[in-house]
Amino acid sequence: MKSRWFVRAARAELRSPRPLLVVLIVVLVVVFATLKPAFLNGSFVIAPLLTSVSIFTVVGLAQMVVLSVGHMNLAVGQMAGIGALVMGVCFDRFGMPLIIGLPIGLAAGALVGALAGWIIARTGVNSFIVTLAMSFTLMGLIPTLYQSWSTGNVFSAKPTGVDEIGRGTFGDVCFGAVCGSPAVPVIVLPALVCMLIIGYFYARTRVGREVLVTGSNAQTAELSGVPTARRIILVHALSGLLAAVAGFMLGASTGSFTPAIGSEFMLPSFLGPILGGTLLAGGAVSIVGTMLGITLTAVIRKGLELFGVGLETLNVLLGVILLAALATDRLRLITVRRRRPRAEESVAALAAELQESEGHR
Amino acid sequence: MRKIISANNLLLIAVVVVGATVLGLVTKGEFFGQVSVTSFFRYLSVPILIGLAQMVTLCVGQLNLAVGAIGGVAACLSGVMITSWGAPPWIGALSAILTGAILGLVNGLLVVGTRINGFIVTLAMSQILLGVQYGLVGTRTISKDAWADVAAFGRSDIAGIPTIFILTLLVAAIVALFFSQSVTGRQLLASGGNSSAAQLAGISIDRSLVVAHTVSGLLCGVAAFISISFLGGVNTSVGGDWLLPSFAAPIIGGVALVGGSVAVLGTVLAAMVVRLVDQASPIFKFDAGAVNFVVGAVVLGTVALGRLREVRANRRVSILRSQRAQAALEEVNR
Repeated sequence: MKSRWFVRAARAELRSPRPLLVVLIVVLVVVFATLKPAFLNGSFVIAPLLTSVSIFTVVGLAQMVVLSVGHMNLAVGQMAGIGALVMGVCFDRFGMPLIIGLPIGLAAGALVGALAGWIIARTGVNSFIVTLAMSFTLMGLIPTLYQSWSTGNVFSAKPTGVDEIGRGTFGDVCFGAVCGSPAVPVIVLPALVCMLIIGYFYARTRVGREVLVTGSNAQTAELSGVPTARRIILVHALSGLLAAVAGFMLGASTGSFTPAIGSEFMLPSFLGPILGGTLLAGGAVSIVGTMLGITLTAVIRKGLELFGVGLETLNVLLGVILLAALATDRLRLITVRRRRPRAEESVAALAAELQESEGHR
Repeated sequence: MRKIISANNLLLIAVVVVGATVLGLVTKGEFFGQVSVTSFFRYLSVPILIGLAQMVTLCVGQLNLAVGAIGGVAACLSGVMITSWGAPPWIGALSAILTGAILGLVNGLLVVGTRINGFIVTLAMSQILLGVQYGLVGTRTISKDAWADVAAFGRSDIAGIPTIFILTLLVAAIVALFFSQSVTGRQLLASGGNSSAAQLAGISIDRSLVVAHTVSGLLCGVAAFISISFLGGVNTSVGGDWLLPSFAAPIIGGVALVGGSVAVLGTVLAAMVVRLVDQASPIFKFDAGAVNFVVGAVVLGTVALGRLREVRANRRVSILRSQRAQAALEEVNR
């Protein structure tokens, strides 16, 4: 029984975009490493690469949780900005330690997210418009607040612990004589914790399953007794919280909290989950896929940077990758639909596949 | 009987009149001076055009996140054509419209051909086009000196009203006629209103999507042409701040987000309201951030209020229905 479940899970895994992503990442790393041996330099290439993978994985998760109910959050960057702003004020103006300032900042992000969710659930307006308007509102608010509360538009006070998380590597973490690798930054830890918690939330908790039901069919969910409005508010609050975590990570890794935090988050936040196989229509998530999607884009970015490719070409490439990935995914599903079902394949499995293909529309 | 002017538009006109009066009083009449009025209308052209560009995609239930990027690429390509490739100024500037239409067509074909969500397609396209725009001009600014004739046209006015604003109103009128009189326009509205019904009536939804994205790109191209003609030059900042105004104008103007409706006059009036906020910011010493804040909040408020009004109207209808049913039941019982 257990083994059949395992075979089915393995088959589903192979059908998902994840194996392809792993292959692509491995191939690219090998290609970059052979062409430019500097690519494997531990502290100058690998550590910054892992840092940006960690930060943007959390950004991707922030988008993924709202995609799971079929919504979008165009204000991820600004929610990260609000979180970073509040933390900066706590650390800089009030001299709070990390353990108090961080939760207050995270709560601020969650609160802004909850507000967006509340407006969406209460009025039934498209999440796209609500979060777009929200992002512009915050985009106006954040620099104004920095101007009035900080000196020189930056909060640079760092309580103990921030530098260790943001800039430390496992090279500094020693157990007796055994030290970790200086190529692995400490900042991967918060990203891993976020992945584990979100993974547990969707796979094991009742509320997480209810969120997925809401995403795949809101009406059915409502009729099955799921409080859909509350679940929608919850995921938006969670999105704001994760965005604030990412804002903190970025601030800690660059060493200061500035109004620029979050301004580059929007496209990567969609790239990760979509490349990883999270449906835009809601009802399905892939946490590992989100991480892999982010890793792929980060590897491409870093590799091309080593070859001296300019920022504008990188942007073009990221856009092309997003379109190409989705287009090949569509092609894959069309071929699934065209091919004749094999005898041993159940009708249910094919139906599930077809439904998945429709979900992308 | 058709209403000549809707309640929403009346409200917008009232807001414009009150806003202009307040600005006039605060500046002690300076706001109504010749220079001030001319510059007000000159800077109003682009918001109106990009609002209309967004409206066309909203009407088929799509959206266009690439308005700014299309406009920016079209403007920069024209600048490069004139200065580097030796194109005659007028042809180079007007080719921005063609560039816009082609880029819009690409958007439409991608949406239809790949069946990817239009949101993602236009997001990816905007990213690609931003790179192209940077690739075209880099960090330099191409000065308007290269197209002095076109710049003179952009700075000219007829009786104090800028020529480019009159041109903009003309384009708006054509868009209004397109949706009210032409078969294609009606088909776009039908596809947006109820796609299955439209399909059954023999309208090709795919064609409507392609047409809508192309027209949207074309209008962005017109906005790019206007930008070339009145800005001091073109660089990577052209189009960078178009996204919010492009959504603000149609949404405040009363276009339904689910598709199936257009409001050309409403969009024009709403763009005027947004422009007033912009104009007020230096007078009241707001910074650019505060303008974004106000406009974002107004959009949120409009959307939420519209939705609440709809819910209340639905409730009223259902109360009315139940009262009628009650009356009919009593009739039967008697």
